[in-house]
Amino acid sequence: MSRIGKALYQWLDERLHLDDLVTFMDKKSVPVHRGSIWYYFGGVTLFLFIIQVFTGILLLLYYKGSDQLAFESIQFLMSKVSFGWLIRSVHSWSANLFVLSAVIHMFSVFFERAYRFPRELTWLTGMLMFFIALGFGFSGYLLPWNELAFFATKVGTEIVGVVPVVGKPLMVLLRGGEEVSGATLSRFFGFHVAVLPGLFVVLLSVHLIMVQRQGMSEPLEEGHQQGARRNTIPFFPNFLLRDMLLWLIVLNLLAILAVFFPWELGKKADAFAPAPAGIKPEWYFLFMFETLKRFPAKVLVVEGEVLGVLLFGVAGLLWTLVPLWDRKRDQGRRNRVLMYVGIAVVVYILVFTIIGWLA
Amino acid sequence: MNGIRRWIALGALVSCLIVTRAASADECLTCHAALGDKPSTLFKADIHHVKGITCAGCHGGDATSSDMEPAMDRKAGFIGKPNGDSISVLCARCHSDAQQMKRLHSSIPTGQLELLQQSVHGNLATSGKSRIAQCTTCHGSHGIVAVKDPRSPVHPRNVVATCTRCHSNATYIRSYNPSLPVDQREKYLTSVHGTRNAVGDLKVAECASCHGSHNILPPKDVKSSIYPTNLPKTCAKCHSDADYMKEYGIPTNQFEQYAKSVHGIALLEHNDLGAPACNSCHGNHGAMPPGVESISKVCGTCHALNSELFSSSPHKKAFDDLNVPECESCHGKHEILVATSALLGTSPEAVCARCHVAGTKSFDEAGMMRRLVDTLETSESEARMLVEEAEQKGMEIGEAKFRLRDIRQARLEARTMVHAFNEERLRTIIGKGLTVAAWASEEGRQAIDDYYFRRVGLGVSTLIITILVIALYLFIRRIERQQRQRGTVTSHSSHGSTS
Amino acid sequence: MNDQSTVGGPQTKRDFLKIVLGGGLLAWLAAVMYPLVAYLKPPKQGEVQVTSVKVGPVTGIAEDSGTIVRFGNKPVILIRNASGEMRAFSATCTHLDCTVQYRKDMGMIWCACHNGRYDLSGRNIAGPPPRPLDEYRVIIQGEDVFLSKNT
Repeated sequence: MSRIGKALYQWLDERLHLDDLVTFMDKKSVPVHRGSIWYYFGGVTLFLFIIQVFTGILLLLYYKGSDQLAFESIQFLMSKVSFGWLIRSVHSWSANLFVLSAVIHMFSVFFERAYRFPRELTWLTGMLMFFIALGFGFSGYLLPWNELAFFATKVGTEIVGVVPVVGKPLMVLLRGGEEVSGATLSRFFGFHVAVLPGLFVVLLSVHLIMVQRQGMSEPLEEGHQQGARRNTIPFFPNFLLRDMLLWLIVLNLLAILAVFFPWELGKKADAFAPAPAGIKPEWYFLFMFETLKRFPAKVLVVEGEVLGVLLFGVAGLLWTLVPLWDRKRDQGRRNRVLMYVGIAVVVYILVFTIIGWLA
Repeated sequence: MNGIRRWIALGALVSCLIVTRAASADECLTCHAALGDKPSTLFKADIHHVKGITCAGCHGGDATSSDMEPAMDRKAGFIGKPNGDSISVLCARCHSDAQQMKRLHSSIPTGQLELLQQSVHGNLATSGKSRIAQCTTCHGSHGIVAVKDPRSPVHPRNVVATCTRCHSNATYIRSYNPSLPVDQREKYLTSVHGTRNAVGDLKVAECASCHGSHNILPPKDVKSSIYPTNLPKTCAKCHSDADYMKEYGIPTNQFEQYAKSVHGIALLEHNDLGAPACNSCHGNHGAMPPGVESISKVCGTCHALNSELFSSSPHKKAFDDLNVPECESCHGKHEILVATSALLGTSPEAVCARCHVAGTKSFDEAGMMRRLVDTLETSESEARMLVEEAEQKGMEIGEAKFRLRDIRQARLEARTMVHAFNEERLRTIIGKGLTVAAWASEEGRQAIDDYYFRRVGLGVSTLIITILVIALYLFIRRIERQQRQRGTVTSHSSHGSTS
Repeated sequence: MNDQSTVGGPQTKRDFLKIVLGGGLLAWLAAVMYPLVAYLKPPKQGEVQVTSVKVGPVTGIAEDSGTIVRFGNKPVILIRNASGEMRAFSATCTHLDCTVQYRKDMGMIWCACHNGRYDLSGRNIAGPPPRPLDEYRVIIQGEDVFLSKNT
């Protein structure tokens, strides 16, 4: 067996000069310290993304993206296709775990301040991917064309329309018209399976290449000196095997969720029926939804909703640009203020998500 | 004039005076009777006159005066001939006064005017000036006698004539309600009630027995005695009274039976106006039990399909030849209960064996039809149970659940098709239901199997992954141990383990 | 430390572990491939059957006809009369819940169970049904016909 492997390697090496790559990979190491556990979350997020692509492609084989057939095609998938229920539920659960994992990954990077020099671009691409992930969630949610999704999309795109100047045209662009309709479904389908994956993969490649190039970031410590020897383990095979272990467990978790908590389908969307009570978006949008609900109708001359949306926009922008304005990072000093800001953000999101969930 | 005539005239005058002095209370009558006018002639037999009430009792004026002017003086209360609603008000002056009636030693009710005013006859007439009927319209004006008196227009023997005075007049009735029939009397005379009434039977129903007298309401009014939900009780007033009906020799348990029946419960308890009351099958004015050959047609006014199938089935001729009543023989007449499949077949509680003898082809056919129906019922409950179980378990089974209604439809259609008494036709309908039931059961079974398969599959996968995870973990540990031994892992001695 | 220096114990342990690892890996691959292959095999009913709102282009619905359409889990009858107008009603008979049908020869809606009849406005005109049929909205958007509940 290994002889074949060696021969294959030789054949490729003659053409691609893999030696450099192999040496590089061999030398790769992962620091070991109190915060090392967080290193795994990037990998888990990647794994879940791969699962999404995989199950997504499988779903594509049976899903029909028209407002006439979408719901029925998923019903068909869940009841008539072998293991269709499994693929669909895994896809839905994995989507949520993917967003959760991305959030944890992002916050862990934030609190470890791994976005500081020289990893600003890694943070940037990561944040862009995060927004795309939310876009995946929003667009994918509509695809079953069921009642909840229909109205959640209606509300969500309406909020987009609230943004001054660009909001309305953007909303029409998203909806494929003035109202949420079959045209919206077509667009969201296109976004979900072509546009967003394409963008995401490009960003992901850049992100991963940079991580490979720069290695893992290590946490700051008072009186830390650059270049001091730290505990590390080799990436190959140690860290990788550990990664695999975790990925296997996550896979099993997905299977358990799919069997015991199958994803519901609900009622088919009826554009002409009134909205049912209790429409709310997916959990990762809940905190924004709840916050906007609490804004007063008018603040001075500005409509409350517009103000809320703009504030979120500004907040998101600031968060994304944190590597630029965190002065203390280059000096290697801890930034207590930023830490508290981060904790406040986490608490705020948690609290409002829970409020939204219980409402 | 010679002396004799003069004496006669004087004698007449004297006797007049004597007579009038004898009945001195009513000078009005004395004079007017001498004039020979009709009202006074009639009034002599009037019960009011007998009781001592004078003309002035209604017309006002001074009945003690024999002189016209003071007698008919407006100032003395004379009102002349009362018109319109004032007539009834006049009657009510005594007849609605309980004290007054007691004083006159009368025990008749005192609410008539109020009832009349609320009744359909209390509506305004076409003239708009007064109500349709006054007391005098039915009771007469001057020859009023008690209801029990055969001379009264409202005596049971005379009621029909009194009512039909208006109600058989097509022109008159048309001015009030163009769609109201005017042939009640013709129909009535074809009924038992009518024929017996015509020969003097005072116990049978006439107009007032069912419609009421003063409080007559249109049949569509819920308070009417002949409103469908009230009608059975109206008929039962006589027909459930065993003593009253003794001489007629017909059963008196119809209402009791009816109230327990499907029709009775539907009408009396659920207020379903689609259900038949007594008149729906027996007729209204021409009330008569339907003839043996026509029962199926009567039932068929609602149960059209069953009637049609029956009439073209072999049973029709057989029943007619044997003079056996149609639908009733199997379903009963008043006590019709829910027709379950228990009626069909050859078991003791089924009806087929009452005529069909064991060993004949028809006997076997009856048994087979029952078996077919039973099979469908069993298949239906099995399919339903399986689909429900699958649904309970959270499996997607929407289509099968939707198709269950087709099985039910087949079962209902089969119930009707039984009346063709043709095994082949029944089999076709049952077959449709059985096909769907078999399919739905299979879907249910598959869904339930899938439910368990998923859990078993999960168990197996989890087992595999767990083994793999443990093996992987041990493998990692081993590798790292080896690395440490070889010194390829950079670690300080104080940090013994890798995280 | 050389691997060969220790015989038996760690060797067999290593082999055992490698066997378990290898075996586990194969089993895992099988557990992943099996559902995958089964999923890719087309199911018996080749395609999703459109039954929920079997309405399509206006031209697809014949004049003077009645079509039963599944609306969620209720049947709805879509009637198109001779002059091309369309109306839709609940196809559940108000008597005992049988499914009604359109009878061209009678020019009305008929229930096969007990001969209930409804006119083309859904009103119960003969037989046992106590109430008219609920009406559904027929919406023509562009070229297609949609059904919706009357709110």
